[in-house]
Amino acid sequence: MLFSGKFALKFNVKRTRNIILYSALIFIGLLVFSALAAPLIAPCDPTEQHLQDRFMKPGEGGYLMGTDDLGRDVFSRIIYGSRSALLVGFTTAGAAMLLGLITGLAAGLGNRWVESALMLFTDSLLAFPTILLALTVVTFMGYGLVQVMLALGIIFSPVFTRIVRAETMALQYEGYVEAAKVLGTPTYKIITKHFLPNMMGKLIVQGAITFAASIVIESSLSYLGLGIQPPNASWGLMLKDARNFILTSPYLAIYPGVVIALTVLSFNLIGDILSEKINPRIED
Amino acid sequence: MRKRQRWISVLLAAITAFSAMLPLAAQAQAEKKQSVNFAMTSNPDTLDPHKTSGTPTFQTIRSFYDTLVEPDREGAIVPALAESWEISDDNLEWTFHLRRGVKFHDGTAFDARDVKATLQRIRAEETASPKTSEFQAIESISIPDDYTLVLRLSEPYAPLLSSLASGWGAILPSEKIEEGHNFGIEPVGTGPFTMKEWLRDNKITMEKSNDYWKEGLPRLDEVVLNIITEGSVQLQGLLSGQIDILAEYSPTEEELEILEDNSSINLERSLTALVMVLAMNNANPYVEELKFRQAAAHAIDKQTVLDIAYGGGKPVGTFMDRKDPYYVDYTDLYPYNPQKAAELVDSLDIPEDKTFVMALPQNFDPHVRAGQMYQEMLEKAGLSIEIRLVDWSTWLSDVYRGGNYDFTVIGHTGKLDPDGRLGGYGTEKTYVNWINKKAAEAIETGKKTVGFENRKPLYDTALEEMARELPHVYVGTNYRYILTRKSVTGFHMDTKLDTFDFRYTEVSE
Repeated sequence: MLFSGKFALKFNVKRTRNIILYSALIFIGLLVFSALAAPLIAPCDPTEQHLQDRFMKPGEGGYLMGTDDLGRDVFSRIIYGSRSALLVGFTTAGAAMLLGLITGLAAGLGNRWVESALMLFTDSLLAFPTILLALTVVTFMGYGLVQVMLALGIIFSPVFTRIVRAETMALQYEGYVEAAKVLGTPTYKIITKHFLPNMMGKLIVQGAITFAASIVIESSLSYLGLGIQPPNASWGLMLKDARNFILTSPYLAIYPGVVIALTVLSFNLIGDILSEKINPRIED
Repeated sequence: MRKRQRWISVLLAAITAFSAMLPLAAQAQAEKKQSVNFAMTSNPDTLDPHKTSGTPTFQTIRSFYDTLVEPDREGAIVPALAESWEISDDNLEWTFHLRRGVKFHDGTAFDARDVKATLQRIRAEETASPKTSEFQAIESISIPDDYTLVLRLSEPYAPLLSSLASGWGAILPSEKIEEGHNFGIEPVGTGPFTMKEWLRDNKITMEKSNDYWKEGLPRLDEVVLNIITEGSVQLQGLLSGQIDILAEYSPTEEELEILEDNSSINLERSLTALVMVLAMNNANPYVEELKFRQAAAHAIDKQTVLDIAYGGGKPVGTFMDRKDPYYVDYTDLYPYNPQKAAELVDSLDIPEDKTFVMALPQNFDPHVRAGQMYQEMLEKAGLSIEIRLVDWSTWLSDVYRGGNYDFTVIGHTGKLDPDGRLGGYGTEKTYVNWINKKAAEAIETGKKTVGFENRKPLYDTALEEMARELPHVYVGTNYRYILTRKSVTGFHMDTKLDTFDFRYTEVSE
């Protein structure tokens, strides 16, 4: 309705989607590159204090994004911050997927009791608000990056469990699986040859979404001071520090805020688009 | 279409009518009351003066209660509910002559029985007051007449007057004590204000008491303590006019520039009674070595840390704040000298991979910022430091009481009596685990010695030991900024007790 004739013709859903997908992929690619090559790109040590150069505005004194309250280079901290963000994202998504696979397969293939017990456990995990659960786990295990990743891995596993269980239940009665069973193929082989390849698509989509969610939670926990410990760089921690200087140096909050938003958006977009591609029914 | 037009005209009429009424309403309010809005950082846990050691409680109840004696603006102890007092020659009998004609908020008259009941309450086991020990030296309380109180001590105890002047020395009405009244939620005192409303974690509204014993005071009709935890929100409140007084916010240099240019805001700077320290756990075998602590002292640029992390201040060299009469200057003893610090660290036998843990109370941004600066300074001297953020209750239980740390950063609050700050140091009773017989003896004797001239040499000895031996690295006393709207005058914050005094505050148009 809104687009006039010519434009409407050119406006192509598929093409737009591809443009979005590629820009998201490019952004993630940049992020991965900056995380891997951080020491090469970053102009300064992210924790090094330049007490004479505090609160430099972006561009001033050769600091691309300015400096913070202790004269640390914001640009370098953003770059090093991508390391912790991606590390948390990958480890959490990986751990959650692995945990979900084990429990999901056990629930799908095990007997009634095993299934009920496992599903009761995952359902009760799902019932908690994510951040509350994360807070509880971190409070018990102590503050720090490893604890955060472990906590998030556990917290995000139930969704994977549900996916794996549902797929396992459906696939069990497929003709080729039953045939394999009749022929005496060992269970682990059925899992690796039939189950895993069939679920992979869905798991990857869910993985991308988990990745984004865990970056948000990591930032929130670091914002609360429970995640990455200072003076190490984390976007959430940078936001936390910036809060005190919002009146005089708002740029301190803008950079980490924008980077978090873009990262999460990119991963979510990739997840969405992949799920549409894998599951064509949604397309209409 | 027609219908919609009609609705719009009705709406417009309503808006016009409301906006016409607004200035009227505002005017009515201005004529009604002399009121100030104050920004307070944390909510008091209780309003009972005998059941907490939390500063927010004493800051609040200062307006509801009076004490027998009180500190004046210079820190000297002056009469309040007691008009005068004398101490016997053996320092064991303290006689207080009480003020006549003072009334509690419930209308009952104040006399010696109230003081006796109050002191009995704070000493009673079932009250479980954290300050009981300060009144332990009292052997008996007698009231020869309605307006005389005699305290008999079992041994000389110099800090008693200071304890009576502190928030926990607040005098409660005896009738209400006997009734078992819940002072935690409903204070009844002789103070300048009465409590109107307490919305937890939101605000406390106080109203003028018409019976206050100081002629013509208080000058305000109403004080609202707004509980605003976030510093930047407090400042925004002041700039937008929602807050009239800000006393617990320390602005950054850049913010100070903005505030100084602002013609509607008054800025008053003074030294607090805090001593900011980098505490070290002397139970750690490396820290126990004096050279290690000297290295830490030389490594730290005190003035820079004060300026950047604590909003400015003055360095100290021993465990006493700059303005205290017992203060002695030792700032030249271990000056900032990173080279010497590095040499001292080299001379020690510390393994390459040894990492020291610096526990920081994460809800205090200034301490966390200072901690990161100390870390960098100590690492330059060759020590490896790992920061661990802990929440406040963990800090109290694990670090302060549990001694589970190598370094920590904190500010020690002021006390009216030197024993309040120094009591226990030199023995294993403090969190720094620093053992020094000479200091411990001087401090213990000081507690039992009455009179400034007699006590000064004892505390000189203790403070010299602490300056040389460095149980903590003493950093300095920071500035306090009291920011008020230009129309508000006469607000005072007690230097040592950190309490708010609204008695002389007024608002001019």
